[in-house]
Amino acid sequence: MTQDTGASAAAAHGAASNDVVTIKLPAAGAYLSVLRTATAGLAARLDFTLDEIEDLRIAVDEACAMLLTQALPGADLECQFALGPDSMRISVSVLTQDGQEPSRDTFAWTVLSALAGEVDSSAGVDNRVTIGLLKRRSGSSS
Amino acid sequence: MDLSLSTRTEGDRTVVTVGGEIDVYTAPKLREQLIDLVSSGNYHLVVDMESVDFLDSTGLGVLVGGLKRVRAHEGSLRLVCTQERILKIFRITGLTKVFPIHASVDEALKASD
Repeated sequence: MTQDTGASAAAAHGAASNDVVTIKLPAAGAYLSVLRTATAGLAARLDFTLDEIEDLRIAVDEACAMLLTQALPGADLECQFALGPDSMRISVSVLTQDGQEPSRDTFAWTVLSALAGEVDSSAGVDNRVTIGLLKRRSGSSS
Repeated sequence: MDLSLSTRTEGDRTVVTVGGEIDVYTAPKLREQLIDLVSSGNYHLVVDMESVDFLDSTGLGVLVGGLKRVRAHEGSLRLVCTQERILKIFRITGLTKVFPIHASVDEALKASD
């Protein structure tokens, strides 16, 4: 039996841990709402503010929507959430035909970079394209 | 959650009420609705977004597409939105300068083109 309240559970679990949560979904638009919900849940766990949670929801959605346009048929979208004491690092990736990094001259990239904090993209040798986001919690020193 | 759409006519304008989430999955439904309206001669549109819970850049693209279509017929596309989290997306992308954004459907209907 645990005596943790919600807040102390978050403090006990969130602050000390460096958990990594991985979610793998079919690379299809229908699943983006599921991923947004998971993103919000994880951000809430790290005590992000409501505005920051909303920013992250949109940022993850934008990153994934960009990758979906070039995903190989039948590929999975892989999303990794690295939970830090005062930040969340998210990387989303998918196997693509040509390993092309997403164009930065789009509404999607504009929204993503404005909301996510730090953003980068890369392409691997197997044509896996990855978009990385780092969102720090407000009030965090680093 | 899915996207809900309904339309009604107010004088020479057509009000499109949108509810739910506009993302890469649901945006095509909104795009088709806007194309249908313009194809059937409705060139003055008011898109009421007060019940929209989520909007991403795919949705923005659809609205910009709609604006281009009505402008080709010297029409208009006005938005109704007071939700800060939705307005933020328009602001980030500079689209607050492109779309007339109103606080209510009444205000949008009274606005002159």
